[in-house]
Order: sequence, then C-alpha cells, then structure tokens
Amino acid sequence: MRNGAEILKLGTLTLVWWCIIFGAVWAACYIVGILIPMALSSYESDAARMTAETCRALTPILSVLVFIPINAMFMVLFERRGLAIFTVRLGPNRVGPDGYLQTAADAVKLLFKEDITPRGADAFMFTLAPIVFFAPSIFGAMPLLAAVTNYHELFQIVNLPTGIFFILAASSVPVVGIVMGGWASNNKYSLVGGLRSAAQAISYEIPLVLSLVTVCLMAGTLDVVQIAKQQAGGILNWNIFGGGALRGLDTALALKFSNQPPALQELSQKSFDQVLKSSYVEPTMQAIGLGAGQEGLAGIIAAFAVVILIGSILIAYGLYMTGACAEINRIPFDLPEAESELVSGYNTEYSGIKFAIFFLAEFTNLFIVASIAAVMFLGGGDCPVPAWLGTMLGGPVIESMINQALTPLIQIKLVDPPTLFAAIWVILKVYGIVFFAVLIRGTLPRFRIDQLMDFGWKRLIPLSLIVFVLVVFAREFVNVHVGS
Amino acid sequence: MDQFEMLKAWAETNVETTMFYILATLAIPLAYGVILDKTIIRSGFILIGVFGSICGLFLLLQAQFLALAQLMIYAVGITLVIVIALMLTNPRMEKSQLSNATPANQLGAFMVAVGLFMTIYLSVRPENWTLSSEPLDVNNVEVLGRALTTDYSLPFEFASVLLLAALIGSIMLAKAEKPPKPGEDDYEYSVVEDGPISDDARHDREPAASKR
Repeated sequence: MRNGAEILKLGTLTLVWWCIIFGAVWAACYIVGILIPMALSSYESDAARMTAETCRALTPILSVLVFIPINAMFMVLFERRGLAIFTVRLGPNRVGPDGYLQTAADAVKLLFKEDITPRGADAFMFTLAPIVFFAPSIFGAMPLLAAVTNYHELFQIVNLPTGIFFILAASSVPVVGIVMGGWASNNKYSLVGGLRSAAQAISYEIPLVLSLVTVCLMAGTLDVVQIAKQQAGGILNWNIFGGGALRGLDTALALKFSNQPPALQELSQKSFDQVLKSSYVEPTMQAIGLGAGQEGLAGIIAAFAVVILIGSILIAYGLYMTGACAEINRIPFDLPEAESELVSGYNTEYSGIKFAIFFLAEFTNLFIVASIAAVMFLGGGDCPVPAWLGTMLGGPVIESMINQALTPLIQIKLVDPPTLFAAIWVILKVYGIVFFAVLIRGTLPRFRIDQLMDFGWKRLIPLSLIVFVLVVFAREFVNVHVGS
Repeated sequence: MDQFEMLKAWAETNVETTMFYILATLAIPLAYGVILDKTIIRSGFILIGVFGSICGLFLLLQAQFLALAQLMIYAVGITLVIVIALMLTNPRMEKSQLSNATPANQLGAFMVAVGLFMTIYLSVRPENWTLSSEPLDVNNVEVLGRALTTDYSLPFEFASVLLLAALIGSIMLAKAEKPPKPGEDDYEYSVVEDGPISDDARHDREPAASKR
C-alpha cells in the first residue's frame, strides 16, 4: 500500500465531486419540480396551473441536462486520477485544490477554442455529427431515471412499457454520428475511424442486445422499473444471481441465522422440504413425470437448473460488459480513435465545442451503459444486504434514525427517503462499474481490427446464443421472480 | 383565461393531427432529398432522417415497438449501407459525373415506379379495412410478442429462414474462392527470410494455412 495516500486522495475527490454533482441535480429537480409548483399553487389561475404542470413535466429532462456536463467533468478527472494510480503516477493535481478543478478548466478552454471546419469538408454534416452523437444519450437514458429513483412521482412520466428496448434503440443511433463525422471531415484517418466504428458497433451490438434479451426473458418484461422492482430484497434476488433462483437458499439461511423476527415466524413452521419446494416449478416437474413423492429428485433437478441459470446469467453479464465496452469505443475496443494508428480517428478534425460535445457524449455513454448494467443485473436501487440480515444488523434502526434526522427536509419534500436510498445505492453501483472500466483501460492493450472481428463474431455471438437457449430452458424449472 | 381553456380543448383534439402534419412535412422533403442529392453518402444519411420521421408516425399510432424497431434496425442498417456505398464507390463521386440514363432506361424506371405505386396503393387503401373502436392495450408489446409466437409463428419462421438463406447466399457470393494453385501451400512460410511479415500479410495467409 505504498500509494495508499493517493488512493485516499482519489476517494476524497470522488466524494467531493459526488456532492457537487448530485447536490446540483437534486437542487435543480427540487426547485423546478416541487418548489415552483408549490409556490404557484396559491394562485388559482389557469396560467399558474399550466406553468406548474409544465415545470413538473420538464423536471426529468432538466435533471439530465444539469447532470451530464458536471458528471462528464468528474468522470474525466476520475479516470485520469485513477489511471495515474494504476500506472504509478500522480495525475493532474495542480489546478484548484489538489487538481479538483482540472477538468473544469479544460471545459472552459474547449469552449473558448476556435471552431474550425476543414476545407473540403461537408460543413452541414460536419456540424450535425456531434449533435447526432450526443442527442440520443440525453433522451435514451430517460426510462432509466424512473428505475433508479425508485419510481418517484416526478419521474413517472418517463417510464415506458418498452423501457429497455427504447434505451437500446437510442443507444444504437450514436454510431451514425461517428460515421457521419468521419465521412464529413474529408480526412482519411477520420474516414477509417468512422468505418471501423460502424463495423465494430454492428458486430458488438448483437451480443449486447442478446444478453439483455436474456435478462428480459428472465424478468418477463421490458419495463425497467418493473425489472428493478423485481430484484428487491437483497443480493440473492439480483438478476446476476439468477433473479431469485436462490430463494430456497436465502430462506434456509434466514431460518438458520435469524432470531425469527415476526415476518419469518410462519416460514419457520415449514420443513426443509417445503423450503426446497419453493425454488422449483411444480407444473414443469409434473410434465417431465415427477409428481408427488419424488420431491428429492425434483429438488436435484431444480438445483442443477439453478446452477445452469446462474452460470448463464454471469456469462451474460460478462457479455454485456464486453459488448458495452465495444459500443462506447473504450479501450480495449477503442479502434475508431486508435491514436497510434489513426491520429485520433473520427474526431481528428474536430476542435472547440464540437470536440467537447464528442467528449461529453463519450463519457455520458459510459455512465449510461454502467447504469443499464446496474439496473438490469445489479438490482437497481436495491440494498445488497438481504432483509433478514439487515434486520439482524439493525437496519431498520439506522433507517429510522436517518428518517428522523431528515424529518425537516422530508416535510418540505426536499428528500424522499425511498428515492434517497435507491439513489445512493445506484450511485455506488454505477460508479463501481465505471471504476472497473477505468481499471480495464489501465490494464488491457488495444485489439487489432481482425482480432476484434473474430472475437465478436466467432466467440461472443455464439456464446450469447448458447446462454440465451440455456436460460430459456433453465427458467422453466426454477422459480424466478415469482412472489418474492 | 379563456385562451388557456381554448388551447387545452384544441390540444386534446388536434395535437395528433398537427404532429402528423409536422412529421409528414419532415418526411416527404427528406425523401425527395434522398433521390435528389448529388452525393450518394449524403443520400444515405438523409434516408436515416426519413426513417426517423416514419418512426415518429408509428409513435403517433401508439405502435411503440414498431417505432423503436424502425429506429434501431434502420439506424444501424443504413449505416451499413453507407459503409458499403463507401467501399463500392468513390466517396467523392457525384451523380453528375455518372453517365445519364438512356430514354429506354428512363421509361423502364417510370414503369416500375408506377407499378410499385399502384401495388402499394391497392394494398393499403382504406376501403377494405375493418375498423375497430376497441381501446389499445397500453402494453401492446406483449400482444405483439404473443401473436408472433402463436398465431403467426409460421410466417415468422418462414421469414427468418428466408433471411438465413439470403445471408448464406450472400456469404457464398462474397467468398467466391479460387481453387488453390499447386505448390502455393508450400510457399506459405518460406518468405520469412525476406524480412518480418506484416500483420496484415500474415492475416491474409491464415485461411489458406488452416485449410490444410
């Protein structure tokens, strides 16, 4: 731990920037979504009512617009400092206190730089490309907002019955922006970067979508709010651990270790067989000829199915992370902007604010794919500690203490406890994944283009299809997301 | 105050129509742009705009799934088309440099266009439609999925097999392997003395080596 001091500094920096980011977002949402409508409610006119409604409806988009620039600034700094630690350097530490303002200064610099359109470039397309690249990341993340805030009433309007499909459709658009920018720049390096990006995005979108389809299949819905809600109740209910396939284990553990709190009284009456029975699907067992009296065999088959299911979902998670890394062009898949071969790829000719928009969108996309992973696989805003263990460790006491401490804030509606707790867990999970992406960037070298294509088409796509089929069959034998 | 009431009443009845006209005025000029633009790559990008506005029309008709599928498949698919266009043509070539079509070609194109228009018009004209006043299910993805896997599973499978056949056929056409010349295989790794083989060259040779 010779660089313990540096790690501590990174931790402090992260906490400070989180306070800045989420304080700003929280304040913006509160002012526009609650304070202004509350102030207007004293007027009886139609105009006041309409303004209030408009304000409420605009809250989600406003929160995203406040969040994206500040978050990108933080993530760039976080990445640079993190990489510095992995490569035993110091990283940016001069601007502001310990380098906290480095990226803010960078942002100001980028905004004031001259905006150059190269000679021979298609000016209209050249300008349109950053917009096409950036816009989907604003509206694509909308349904996720409802999921990560525990379905807060201000964010209910952005939830869609086709949630995850909407997000995927929106996140497939940016590649058009890259190809457009690459072609419009009138530069060979840019063009090659754009072409590579198109090939890569099309190849890696398939395993990405198939792994998410596997999760949707397990959940039985496309609605991200429902997917997040299904996973409530501790780490064993998360989709990455089979989405409640381990319920039998969970219950058995609860029976063994808890002091039988009131909620578990009735469970403790049941025998072990009955606990086991709750983890498999009786009609399926009967269909393959295992009726009453053969619970033992059925249990063994169910256990086998559970193992297959969890293994498949873990692989699907790996597939998702790989595909997502390739979709957002991060190392080891950053061939579109491979600076040692292509100068800077598709954004070689961009400068000033257009380059800033490309940069902003890249980091926002990283954040979005991390949030998708958190919601689809890691339980959304769910606390990883199972309820019975939480009760033993004094969770309710802590919760009520926090609630009491926040009472004045809750009364003026500044804080809504379910949203607050969900948001904190989501923040931890998402930035955990972002940290993992930074670690990958510090660890792995870049793929060669033919290796990339081979890996995508010959390894990932067949693997994702196998995982999909395995989950289809395993799910029939195991109780997943039923009556949790 | 009356104005707001009026605005509200107007919005309730007319917002869908207005949106339709906005999207239509977007889609039609863009569609013209696709055929009139001089650069083939630009036409491709404009086509994405056309599909984007059609996606909006689907959204107006409450067909969320179709709208999103339109966006997802065409955004990615058209990008592929553009890439292919880039590979097959000189990207800076403009249509004015291409040879003009002969009158016979023009006549043929016109006939095809008229035939296509008649077919589409006859199949989508509203006279023979059964109209239903049933409210739409909010979650019509579920209905769509169920229909695809039960009532319409045969056409669905048929379409997938057709696509698969097209895929295999295009791969076979694109591959068009020449039979290896005698003695070529032995030549494979004997060039090392000339200097290190570049990565690309080695990759080109790999398929031939693995055939043995």
